[in-house]
Amino acid sequence: MYRLALSFFLLTTITLVNLGFKGKGNVLPKDEVDLENLPVELVLTNLGAPKYKHSVAKLDMEKAEIGRQIIFSGRARGKEHKGKRFSPYFRCTDCHNLVKETDSPTDLNPADRLAHAERNKLAFLPAYSLWGVYNRTAFYGGDYGKVYGDKIKNAKDSIGNAIQVCTQYAASGRLLKDWEIEGLLHYFKQHELRIKDLPSLTAADKKNVLYWQKLDQKEKQALRAKIESAFLQSYPATFVPALALDERKYGEGGNAANGALIYRKSCLHCHAGKRVSNYSLDNSSLTAKMFVKNLEEFNYASLYQIIRWGTFTKKRRKQTMPLYTKEQMSDQQIEDLVAYMKQLSEK
Amino acid sequence: MKKVILSLGVWGFAAVALAQEEAEVPALVSETFGSTRIISGHSVETLEKKEWEYRIEHRFGNMGGGLSGAVDESLGFDQAADIRFAFEYGITDRLMVGFGRDKGSTSAYRSLLDGFVKYRLLQQKEKGMPVSMTLVGSALLSYAKASSDISAVSHYPKFAHRLAYSTQLNIARKFSEHISFSLMPTWVHRNYVASDDVNDLLAVGGGLSVKLTKKWALISEYYHTFHDAATLPNLQDCFSFGAEWKTYGHNFHMTLGNSSLFNEAQFIPFTTEKWLDGQFRFGFSISRSF
Repeated sequence: MYRLALSFFLLTTITLVNLGFKGKGNVLPKDEVDLENLPVELVLTNLGAPKYKHSVAKLDMEKAEIGRQIIFSGRARGKEHKGKRFSPYFRCTDCHNLVKETDSPTDLNPADRLAHAERNKLAFLPAYSLWGVYNRTAFYGGDYGKVYGDKIKNAKDSIGNAIQVCTQYAASGRLLKDWEIEGLLHYFKQHELRIKDLPSLTAADKKNVLYWQKLDQKEKQALRAKIESAFLQSYPATFVPALALDERKYGEGGNAANGALIYRKSCLHCHAGKRVSNYSLDNSSLTAKMFVKNLEEFNYASLYQIIRWGTFTKKRRKQTMPLYTKEQMSDQQIEDLVAYMKQLSEK
Repeated sequence: MKKVILSLGVWGFAAVALAQEEAEVPALVSETFGSTRIISGHSVETLEKKEWEYRIEHRFGNMGGGLSGAVDESLGFDQAADIRFAFEYGITDRLMVGFGRDKGSTSAYRSLLDGFVKYRLLQQKEKGMPVSMTLVGSALLSYAKASSDISAVSHYPKFAHRLAYSTQLNIARKFSEHISFSLMPTWVHRNYVASDDVNDLLAVGGGLSVKLTKKWALISEYYHTFHDAATLPNLQDCFSFGAEWKTYGHNFHMTLGNSSLFNEAQFIPFTTEKWLDGQFRFGFSISRSF
């Protein structure tokens, strides 16, 4: 009897101690974890992924504010940190959105992007959104090497170097100082991806995220792979030349309503009232006639040319026009734009 | 071990602050005129911030007149009535300055240096402000050798007598993608004038641009000077018209007009040529921006 009681007491004690023991790692009482807002970086690290090269250990809101100022106004305006505009021509938001551009983080279909832009009143821009950029591990992939060559050699896996390539070459500006890069990293950290941003994760996946410590190695690897495939860690970029003359449809089969949307959200975003570019475009028939007249050309006034090639730095003016890759605007969308120009020219 | 409560709802909702809506298509109306000049006088346009512009402007001799007759003088192309070279610069998008050298062709003003400051007070909007408005102040200095004839204005008894000024308010509206019109009330002051002249003159100008394509426009300019007919009996209103060709970096004007002079302080008080007497000339201006 005595032995039975002692055994029961020891068993109970050991059980209670195990239940109460909080070991190393991040296992938390279930009701204290805001699962949906768990940072993806933290979850992946728990599952054995290496930390990002640019990982920010602790978010500093003051630094994040510096980053926010640089992104929205091109320079920091704080008392302690004041900088000059990184580019006389561009701010980040002139070419990049800051929110997701499609319902699914892995959807690269430009038609879906345009529909999402219309529903959410976003611009339809040539560069990828900076949404979730903190969680990317590779930059300037695809055909960027064709344009930038060795300039992106050290930027392909470094977000800091990637930013410098952008400010110096794409934005025709200057290199950022270390504190400016740090500010941007903290801003990106502030807006990093969270579990709720990955709609493809199932309820079972999320439960595993919560109880990751109970997973064996194989299960952890599988979950990590699932999460890493739920968003894009690098973006493809396919540069295409202007369509050959015999491939151009000159607006035939093009949706002019779509074209109007593209014109407003893409072209006029920069060109209306010379907001960003020093070349003015508007909704006049004069402008449309100029484009229609040059449909068979390969010059700056040819939509087929200018959209795919952009413009390059000249001695007289360093500002460039960024091009649209195949992922950012499809050939059909260009035809939609041409159809709209033809309609507008007859106004 | 402290409890780690990962309540990140606040950070999550920071995404709301990220929401970047498409840029509102600016309501500002731009390119009311194709250049900072209509023909001889200013338009409401200013150079962009940090934009440089180099201008070459030329007025030839009378097409229909002249001492030897029009054909003998190649319809006026043998003569150079006035020539101006100038550099102009946009300090901001609203403020520009210019400095030029002008041949001058009046007895009072030759070998001229001119400078001006132009500020955009208002810009027309698609909804709201109906007009654009600029204010231009300019000055002319003649550095020619003073005449020994004490009855001549070019005798310049004092240095200040070499100076003339003009102030102009430019009010313009772009009525449609094709038509823009400008009204230019102008005040000219010359420090030293002949005894039968007046120091101050008021004029009002009108400028018209008719855009044919994105690159080509027809332009026209008229200045009426308010003066006592008895005081300046030979003074004529200035009327010019022509074509404007605009490329990405250049702007060309090809014009016909009775006035042979540049700068308001010259062409307003000194135009005496008459259209109906064949006293009009071909003129051109080329500007290149950097």
